[in-house]
Amino acid sequence: MNELSDEDFRLIVREWVAANYPPEIRNPLKRLHWNECKSWYFKLAEKGWLCPGWPVEHGGMGLSPGKQLIMLDEFERHGCARTIDQGVLMVGPLLIAHGTAEQRAFFLPKVLTGEHVWCQGYSEPNAGSDLASLRTVAERDGDDYVINGQKIWTSMAMDANWIYVLARTDKKAKKQEGIGFFLVPMDTPGITVRPLTTLDLNEEFAETFFDNVRVPASALVGLPNKGWSMAKALLGFERIFVGSPKQSAYALARLRDLAEWIGVWDDLAFQAVFTQHREDVDDLTDLYEVYVEQVRGGEVPGPDVSMLKIYQTELYQRVTETMLDIAGDRSAMLEPMEGNRALNPAGLFLQSRPSTIYSGTNEIQRNILSKNVLELPS
Amino acid sequence: MTTAEDRGESLRMIRDSAAGIASRNSDLKRIRALRFTEPGFDRAVWREMCEMGWLGLLVSEDQGGSGLGVQEFCALTEELGAALIPEPLIAAAMAARLLPFDALPDVLSGERIVLPAWQEKPLSIDLAAGGTVFANGRVTGKKMFVPMAAGADAFVVTVPGGLALVERDAAGVHLECQTTQDGGNSGTLTLNNVQATWIDGDPDLAFETACMATSAYLLGVMDRVFGITMDYLKTREQFGRKIGSFQALQHRSADLKIQVSLARATVNAAAKAQDESDNVSVRKAAVSRAKARASDAASIVTRGCIQLHGGIGYTDAADPGLFLRKTMVLAPAYGAAALHRARFRDLAPVGDED
Repeated sequence: MNELSDEDFRLIVREWVAANYPPEIRNPLKRLHWNECKSWYFKLAEKGWLCPGWPVEHGGMGLSPGKQLIMLDEFERHGCARTIDQGVLMVGPLLIAHGTAEQRAFFLPKVLTGEHVWCQGYSEPNAGSDLASLRTVAERDGDDYVINGQKIWTSMAMDANWIYVLARTDKKAKKQEGIGFFLVPMDTPGITVRPLTTLDLNEEFAETFFDNVRVPASALVGLPNKGWSMAKALLGFERIFVGSPKQSAYALARLRDLAEWIGVWDDLAFQAVFTQHREDVDDLTDLYEVYVEQVRGGEVPGPDVSMLKIYQTELYQRVTETMLDIAGDRSAMLEPMEGNRALNPAGLFLQSRPSTIYSGTNEIQRNILSKNVLELPS
Repeated sequence: MTTAEDRGESLRMIRDSAAGIASRNSDLKRIRALRFTEPGFDRAVWREMCEMGWLGLLVSEDQGGSGLGVQEFCALTEELGAALIPEPLIAAAMAARLLPFDALPDVLSGERIVLPAWQEKPLSIDLAAGGTVFANGRVTGKKMFVPMAAGADAFVVTVPGGLALVERDAAGVHLECQTTQDGGNSGTLTLNNVQATWIDGDPDLAFETACMATSAYLLGVMDRVFGITMDYLKTREQFGRKIGSFQALQHRSADLKIQVSLARATVNAAAKAQDESDNVSVRKAAVSRAKARASDAASIVTRGCIQLHGGIGYTDAADPGLFLRKTMVLAPAYGAAALHRARFRDLAPVGDED
């Protein structure tokens, strides 16, 4: 695949997606649960396209970063749903880099078949933006570790059968240095999952409680005090994804649908606002391309990539806010207009709310820019 | 065809060549001294710029120029913007591309300054306004907002179907110059049955390039003042701390940085499209998007930098004000953001890709 020209590769992906993507889950309104998105997961697995970034010897495609971006671009273009992809994006790469031969042999194939569905145990009620202050502990007890604490914002915890957990292994060490990375089956005694209903009335997240959860020492990946640095290093060029203009472009297309349906499309005041949004999306696309070029050239973008995340998510929100403005009273209704999923201003507005919070709040991103790019004093 | 590598090299050379006259580290003394003087720029520096080949950068080699592209010209004007250079290179380069071969040598050498006069009313980018007419070797009408007109020896005047070359001191020429916010000037040219030389040609392409070059100049303006402001935040102390340590100022700074970066990406992509796209609508839409972003971003950034400086930023002695006042002149020049957004909308119909 890496030998193909970018254009040929793009066409192959485009055609295959068009022919194989389950039509009933195109452009979903909400993050899909496992029973809704697994058909797509299995299609990808069957084709051998589930893990583009993994090396071929581990069952991946060994695809170059540039080609991976094209693939993602085509998936987004078609409106493909995100699968429950933590095994693919996080657990696999982590084990390939830091796991033992036994861990790789046990876990990697089960990600590839979908037998293991993973969720992420990072955030805690008192460790959100300040994740390194997490307080869940993993205490050594003979051949085992015993985990106690509480995780929150565990996406798709109800669907997952495994969870990877950051837990404190050394209370005396500096806060980033006493953290371990553990792989835990969700059916281990002592784990309780309590779903959280989100603002858009979806049970996407959960609180996950650990009450004397006993796991063998082989559940630890790498060294007991290196969990933080391993987890941090996982985020390479993928950090540009969250700044992809596709999300805003999708909202803009829905804004157009809505304006035409309502009858304000030709209104001059509306056109001025719409054109401003459109140029913002196009300008963001130009900036995104600067980073895509870096990735194609084999570079890992620096901390300045935070600019993409900030601008993209705030633009996405602005576009959905314009939807509310033109929909007026209609946006008060719980259901999409005329049952048409493309005419759903309130739904999209609510969906856009967490984008400025997840993956590091935009305020944290601005801190990163200030400290690491502008080098302002602390 | 040039390769991407050749292009990168030629852009670097252009930027380096600018450093002598337009240094990013210059202290702006010369710029201050020239403000509110007539003609508002230095003809000796102008000749130097011409000797460097800057005016003829876009003029083809067989006409005595260097035949380089819009990307090179924009790389140059970005440097000029960073140094707030008042010499009217962008306007004069627009005129130079419209002049016939025999009129070029004196102009490219810097001996004679010819500026374009195309605008007939405020808030207009209509090159075919038609209020100025040429008949029987004579031109009559009125043109406005001719940048740095006080220093011109002649004007290239747009008229229906072509252009007319008008000497500054010809009978029937009345030039009234108003001082602009940056200390330069802007001319209103009233032509009453003035003897003129007809020139075949279309100002369209030269105008597009002037829009691009102005966008790049604004990019230089915002980039430099942002850098000056970050340096200030790292040195100025209040409450016993460097003010750059305050999160309120840090987040403001981050937002300005995003504007500068968007403007850079957009201007660079649009300049590239001018050199590489065969589609006129695509090229013009890119120009309009770049000018809209550059005008808006420069306004946001220069205003933000005044705020970040606090009281000192409101004094004429502090440099950020120079950048703000330059932006006040150039953000509306060759079409303000709203005009270009409207043109973008007309040129680039909404796609149906989604």
